[in-house]
Amino acid sequence: MENSNSYSPYSSSSVDSTKPLPSESSVNLSLSLTFPSTSSQRETSQDWPPIKPRLRDTLKSLRLRQRGYNTALFVKVYMEGVPIGRKLDLSTFSGYESLLENLSGMFDTSVICGTRDSKHHVLTYQDKDGDWMMVGDIPWDMFLETVRRLKITRPERC
Amino acid sequence: MGASSTLLMVSHGHCLLCLLFSVVRFIYIKTFNSFDSFRIKSLPSLPSLSLSPSLVLMDRRFPFKVLEHIFSFVDSNEDRNSVSLVCKSWFETERRTRKRVFVGNCYAVSPLKVARRFPKMRSLTLKGKPHFADYNLVPDGWGGYAWPWIEAMAARRPFLEEIRLKRMVVTDECLEKIAASFRDFKTLVLTSCEGFSTDGIAAIASTCRKLRDLELRECIVDDLGGDWLSYFPETSTSLVSLDFSCLDSEVKLSDLERLLSRSPNLKSLKLNRSVTLDVLESLLRRAPQLVELGTGSFSDELDPEEIAKLTKALSELKQLKSLSGLWDLLPEYIPLLYSLCPRLTSLNLSYATVQMPDLIDLLSRCSKLQKLWVMDLIEDKGLKTVALCCKELRELRVFPSGADLDETDVTLTEQGLVSVSEGCPKLESVLYFCVQFTNAALVSIAKNRPNFRCFRLCVMEPFAPDYRTQQPLDEGFKAIVERCKDLRRLSVSGLLTDKAFEYIGVHAKKLRMLSIAFAGDSDLMLHHLLSGCQSLKKLEIRDCPFGDTALLENAAKLETMRSLWMSSCFVSFGACKQLSQKMPRLNVEVIDEHPPKTRPDSSPVERIYIYRTVAGPRLDTPEFVWTIHKSPEVGVSRLSIR
Repeated sequence: MENSNSYSPYSSSSVDSTKPLPSESSVNLSLSLTFPSTSSQRETSQDWPPIKPRLRDTLKSLRLRQRGYNTALFVKVYMEGVPIGRKLDLSTFSGYESLLENLSGMFDTSVICGTRDSKHHVLTYQDKDGDWMMVGDIPWDMFLETVRRLKITRPERC
Repeated sequence: MGASSTLLMVSHGHCLLCLLFSVVRFIYIKTFNSFDSFRIKSLPSLPSLSLSPSLVLMDRRFPFKVLEHIFSFVDSNEDRNSVSLVCKSWFETERRTRKRVFVGNCYAVSPLKVARRFPKMRSLTLKGKPHFADYNLVPDGWGGYAWPWIEAMAARRPFLEEIRLKRMVVTDECLEKIAASFRDFKTLVLTSCEGFSTDGIAAIASTCRKLRDLELRECIVDDLGGDWLSYFPETSTSLVSLDFSCLDSEVKLSDLERLLSRSPNLKSLKLNRSVTLDVLESLLRRAPQLVELGTGSFSDELDPEEIAKLTKALSELKQLKSLSGLWDLLPEYIPLLYSLCPRLTSLNLSYATVQMPDLIDLLSRCSKLQKLWVMDLIEDKGLKTVALCCKELRELRVFPSGADLDETDVTLTEQGLVSVSEGCPKLESVLYFCVQFTNAALVSIAKNRPNFRCFRLCVMEPFAPDYRTQQPLDEGFKAIVERCKDLRRLSVSGLLTDKAFEYIGVHAKKLRMLSIAFAGDSDLMLHHLLSGCQSLKKLEIRDCPFGDTALLENAAKLETMRSLWMSSCFVSFGACKQLSQKMPRLNVEVIDEHPPKTRPDSSPVERIYIYRTVAGPRLDTPEFVWTIHKSPEVGVSRLSIR
């Protein structure tokens, strides 16, 4: 592969075309080293390959079915302090955002992922090992495979 | 001819015969020859028209009515734009006669100006967000609000009949305003729009008595239930096309049946997924005149009697040319469609997860097919059948069934596309997702099909070279742009060096839109494109390793284009500022969801969106968008009204 004989003031950070072929996982790594932007979100990114959201959702449920899962993925959601839980089909959501949106609507309060806050309700989940984890740490697909229950924690108790 | 009789009524003596001759010749040229002589090369200069001087002089004595009549033959907006640059009186006449207005970037011009300029406007088409918004590259809330346009038109152009919006934010308020303001409103087509609920749709349905087309194509709608369907007037409707395929919730069967029964003009019906297979027969019975049908889900269990009835109902659709929907199509139901196949010109199987052998049974019967959208489950073998049987094919799209790179258990390779390019002489538009490709295949394809107008290849593995030779795909794309002289739209992928873009810059003379991801080595790549590609209007780039130098060197080019999008590239903040100062009629928008605390000139920006505009910086930017100010002292300003 010939190197282009061009001058670039940023040549120190340009992609080295004499590198060996990157496999998929190292593509992510080399991109995040060379491109100074949002590549760290690439694992959970929904922007490659370039297909429209509706098709992407259709493919997700297709994949789940092919892996031997039922298309529906029901889990129970509890709000801390409320004894009755609600049932939710996680396969109808395309990702964390739509899940949070739906939960916020369902429980009539804003529910967020991640950072513990004295103001917000934070979503946690119990994985297949029985441990309680913060929602949002792992890619959505992995989350679907491991989630068993959801709990929305109260602000003060986080 | 009409023009000559009009002229004869005006008594101006003998010179009128010269006029007459020129006018007739003019009309002859307009209607039968190509319009290339009317194309302008760049904004400020006059078109290279071959007009006799006498015709230009004559416009002063040319009654407005005559010019108006001549211009009524000029349909295309590009030609009308050229015509309006000839002289003041032509500008005036043209603007008073333009009925269909198209604005490719809603921020390029102010709604008020457009409303004032075209008093006879009957149809408005607008586009908002950049194309990459389709792939989640534009954060929510970026902009593209329809409201200012709707408001302006409602106040000034109450005779507006058609509104078509693409990638815009449309609220219920907008829809209610449309319903309330345009008495003769006929057509609403929303493509990839968001921000409204089914309440807004209900408002349109109930109030627009002359509604002909209501199409929601791939919109994100706040679905509050299926009631909206019951809001159509109880009397017979004038509906010609109805598309609610993007809605989720169920509509009442009785509402739908009654609507179909009282819509005798309905030609196109696209149902949503929640319309189950068992009710399809009852719907089709009430609309046997359909030309386009989008079914709902095609997977319920039907008993033999129901199957027989449905088969019959489908076979009664004698006018049906286009079929889509077909969610979860079960292989055992494919024979139900056989009666439709011989007449089908358009088939969309993107949601039909049907495997190859069943697809072959279906496609081998579709000899008139012109447009096929299918998943890669069709495999090379299925595409070979298409090449053999579908000789009328003009457009092919093959989508990936496994949206991750590790899901490739499907035998779709470059060979599939090669077969179709060999077998289908009319093929001119392709969108093809594939894991890897070869230069040899691209060269074959180019040789077979020099008539491509749209060629979009997405090699899904970033930086994937020719898998046989390990070379970049430069030579392959070179063949494409060299041979396909009419190429208007191109998407490239795979491993590409700057050389590929040199070829594109030099050879792709008619290219208007180019999409690039994970390619190139340096600034030279962008430089080749911006200094070449005469007709380039839209350029979108992601994850390519360059930025500043090429951008600043070719700044003038950007004013001849509609827009440039760059994300995850190496563009520095300083370059954005310089560019903005250099080019007064460009809006340089920096989109940064995670902005740094300080912004030295050398800091990179996440995304930039640059577009030409006569409306100045927009006032509706969200907190993560900065329009770079023109004057250096001000630096960055975020003019926003909250």
